[in-house]
Amino acid sequence: MTRERLIPIFLFTIILLSSCSKPLKKIEAFPDMYKEKPLSILILPPINETTAADAKEYFSTTILEPFAESGYYIFPIEIVFDVMKNEGVYDIEAFDSLPLEKFKQYFDADAVLFTRIKKWDTSYYVVGGNVKVKIEYKLVSTKDSKVLWSYVKEIKVDTNVNSTRSVLVNLALTALKTATTDYVPIAKRINFMAISTIPFGKYHPRHDKDQNDVIKKD
Amino acid sequence: MKRIIFPIILGGFLIISGCMPRLTTLYYWDDYSHVLYNFKKNPTPEASEKYKESLLKIINESKKYDRQVPPGIYAEYGYLLIKKGNKEDGLKYLDLEVKTYPESAKFVAHLKEMLNR
Repeated sequence: MTRERLIPIFLFTIILLSSCSKPLKKIEAFPDMYKEKPLSILILPPINETTAADAKEYFSTTILEPFAESGYYIFPIEIVFDVMKNEGVYDIEAFDSLPLEKFKQYFDADAVLFTRIKKWDTSYYVVGGNVKVKIEYKLVSTKDSKVLWSYVKEIKVDTNVNSTRSVLVNLALTALKTATTDYVPIAKRINFMAISTIPFGKYHPRHDKDQNDVIKKD
Repeated sequence: MKRIIFPIILGGFLIISGCMPRLTTLYYWDDYSHVLYNFKKNPTPEASEKYKESLLKIINESKKYDRQVPPGIYAEYGYLLIKKGNKEDGLKYLDLEVKTYPESAKFVAHLKEMLNR
């Protein structure tokens, strides 16, 4: 084999190896989803692991829509959270310890969606700033406690302003841009990326037809 | 005459097709997430009223778009009416949730029990 022929092969191998997230078929990534075919999902109050006290309430307003659009019956979040507040379990940060059959008994939910807000913060440093949001999703069956689907993603938005003006002006502009960058649209982008990997539910026309759809699972 | 009719027909088609609302989504949501966010951020009576109006708009407009009312919206509207003192109408909307999405039956039954306590 000549050298000229080896180089493209070598290059191709490097490209293959370097792509960080492996493309997968939905059925390979989440086989239990197709076995159990959950119809109804109970979205639990997000578990806030950040110091941003309002992250929980704000993030909550963004989750119902994308998951309903994926074809699932989603229990009305606003009512569910109210009921949980009445029962004194809204602020329990360890839902994992709650018996999942309870959710089957009370709500008749096939699966429960845990969301964790891992990052919801702003950083400033000498030459710039950024806003970070990181969310983790875990869909768990109420029948056998299996994790049916999961996703985690962090998005970082750089808020550096590099104008031709002085360093001080740039710093002030960066600070302003960082302070006014809204978390919610970033969270919505993460939701959108998350649902692009979930198998479609019963109310979606492509329900049970998307096994071979290729997704990126990072 | 033929020369006149043709543009009229074409114009008619354009008008009809332009008026038909089209949605690429499964449901019609109005500005649900945004309205709810504003209400959480600043829970004034006005924001609460806007939220209620938006829920009603979703219920009414969904038919126009030939879509089912999204999961949970009937129930949310009914629950809000009950909280605002209109129990009679509120219960009707809770029943509509069950009629549209039978999988909500158990939850709605529990909710009614709780509201009667």
